[in-house]
Amino acid sequence: MRRIIPAALLGVLSAAGGVAVGELLAAATRPPAGPLVAVGGAIIDATPTPVKEFAVRQLGTYDKPVLLGSIALVLALFAAGLGVLTLRRRGAGVAGAVLLGVAGAAAAVSRPSAGWFDAVPSLVAAAVAGAVLIAATTRSVQVAQEGKPFLVRVDRRAFLKTAAVIAGGTVAAGGAAGIVERARGGALTESRAAIRLPAPADPAAPRPTGVGAGFMTRNADFYRVDTALTVPRIDPASWRLRLHGMVGRELSLSFTDLLDRPLIERDITLNCVSNEVGGPYIGTARWLGVPLAPLLREAGLDPTADQLVARSAEGMTIGTPVATLLDGRDAMLCVGMNGEPLPLDHGFPVRMLTPGLYGYAGSCKWLTELELTTFADFDAYWVRRGWAAQAPVKTASRIERPLPFAQLKPGPATVAGVAWAQGRGIKAVEVRVDDGPWRPAELLPVPSADTWVQWRLTWTPEPGPHTLAVRATDQTGARQTEARATPFPSGATGWHTISVTAS
Amino acid sequence: MRITKLTALAAAGLFTLSIAACGSDSDAGGGTEAAAPAPTTMASSAPAMMAGANFGPGCSAVPTDESNPGSFASMAKVPVATAASGNPVLSTLVAAVKQAGLVDSLNTAPDLTVFAPANSAFDKIPAADLKKVLADKKTLTSILTYHVVAGKLTPEQLAGTHKTLEGESLSVEGSGEDFKVDGQSAVVCGNVQTANANVYIIDTVLMPK
Repeated sequence: MRRIIPAALLGVLSAAGGVAVGELLAAATRPPAGPLVAVGGAIIDATPTPVKEFAVRQLGTYDKPVLLGSIALVLALFAAGLGVLTLRRRGAGVAGAVLLGVAGAAAAVSRPSAGWFDAVPSLVAAAVAGAVLIAATTRSVQVAQEGKPFLVRVDRRAFLKTAAVIAGGTVAAGGAAGIVERARGGALTESRAAIRLPAPADPAAPRPTGVGAGFMTRNADFYRVDTALTVPRIDPASWRLRLHGMVGRELSLSFTDLLDRPLIERDITLNCVSNEVGGPYIGTARWLGVPLAPLLREAGLDPTADQLVARSAEGMTIGTPVATLLDGRDAMLCVGMNGEPLPLDHGFPVRMLTPGLYGYAGSCKWLTELELTTFADFDAYWVRRGWAAQAPVKTASRIERPLPFAQLKPGPATVAGVAWAQGRGIKAVEVRVDDGPWRPAELLPVPSADTWVQWRLTWTPEPGPHTLAVRATDQTGARQTEARATPFPSGATGWHTISVTAS
Repeated sequence: MRITKLTALAAAGLFTLSIAACGSDSDAGGGTEAAAPAPTTMASSAPAMMAGANFGPGCSAVPTDESNPGSFASMAKVPVATAASGNPVLSTLVAAVKQAGLVDSLNTAPDLTVFAPANSAFDKIPAADLKKVLADKKTLTSILTYHVVAGKLTPEQLAGTHKTLEGESLSVEGSGEDFKVDGQSAVVCGNVQTANANVYIIDTVLMPK
């Protein structure tokens, strides 16, 4: 018993030291490849949905700490056992460490967008843990009697000293990993702040006078819809975009190459297909970017390629019809948003933007790759999940004032909101009170057909409950449909209808 | 220092698992709406991450398959009327909300608390009376809006008197996981998160006084 507890402790300490070194290496090179987080991610992916649901239900917000704690506990128990086994047989320590290292490496490599390098932190962690365990055991354990390896004796002083050294090293490595992680985040923020975006060769049309407050959406308020587990951190200095597939010649562009090309600047409204009628996932920003069509032509695109697949750093794929990208609209590779480099959340350093398509069908963030292919040959991420492969924005409108269930004071009230049909433009917006006639709303001026239109109407309500509905007509004369459709699979439809009460 | 690092790791893990549901796989293959997880947001899943778990015996009646739009995970990502419409336990309420034309109002109001009568609550009302109420939009609207309170009430804030959107106030008594609304309607599944509302499923329809 006297031997077992110190030996188990050495096992646990060695494992902790190895993991700390692995995390430090990952923090310095590729944070998602850290052994603990990689194993956690792999476990989440492998967990059947009902079990996940059960865990969330039982544990609430504690599910994740419980998961990480459980991984650490299992690892500690395993390591303690290894420590004891190593007393008798050094080979056991080595074999156990190799096993753990391979498991961690396999988990890390299985993550989306992982490369071979992701295996390295786990393998290094295992190598360190194994080596430390063997060395520590050798230092503090003596064979009591030559030729009888089962009779071992732990040298208490040597054990305490060794344990202290390992613990110190572990704390230092873990602390350093934390510092490196923070520094990397800070460095990226700094390199983003240091970027001087060139002036556009083709600036945005001046916003007409009379554009209302709230026409532009601030970056901080711009909706975010994506599946990224953690916001990808991409160093613009090492970023490259590869344009390949059905092209005459592949292109590989650096961030500087992009900035050296003539840039366009446009006010464009972007919205998400998963928006419910009247929902919040829409915004308008001033985007700065490289026009995409000339790049595709430079690469000598094959005329039979009908789909451009954009890939992000974290493995998202977004497919866009080539015909759409070549029809003269301002599809671009964005580097700037509202006068600053793209925010990290919105795809830094480069995202794609296709006006007139829902984001999932044309506006890949954290862009790293463009591949020309066909719709027959490749289904992008959301298409594999049943969403429409081609997704032009549907004409829609939203009441923003008054809010649903508002209590209106007596006298005239302003009814106001936005309507959008990017690419086609909005011709008219009408509002209906209760079962009354449709009344035309006043449209505020817009810079182009690619933005939403603000509208307003003055209304003096009778006391009592009222229902307000809105509908828009696009510049082709097509009226927004009243028929209700869910966001799945190609965007919601229906007239936004809200209830208010006037006193 | 080590503690800091472990906390950071735990936080990273927390974030990772919370968002995992958003990117969950479901080979819908263009099937039904039920089979397709929606592209969803950090913004809308954040409240579900922050708030505590739901509670109550009635929660077991809620579907657990994440790809089912009625499951807790799915409901947390969509606004309240949409969330309820995926939930078979709330189908009568959803029909009533549609009948009253309140779907968009509930979906697009900023922050709400909804006391949602389960189907079993509507079953307690004689069929003829229920039919009559469903046909009378004004009465129906006042009954339904009496079940809605502005702002998201957490379980800790639930006990007390709250002004409803109908205008009158309702009262909640109880604590922990045991609450009664207006002295007669028990919360059978509480603190269900949706994108814009906290939902408390109750076993008896409330009536404005």
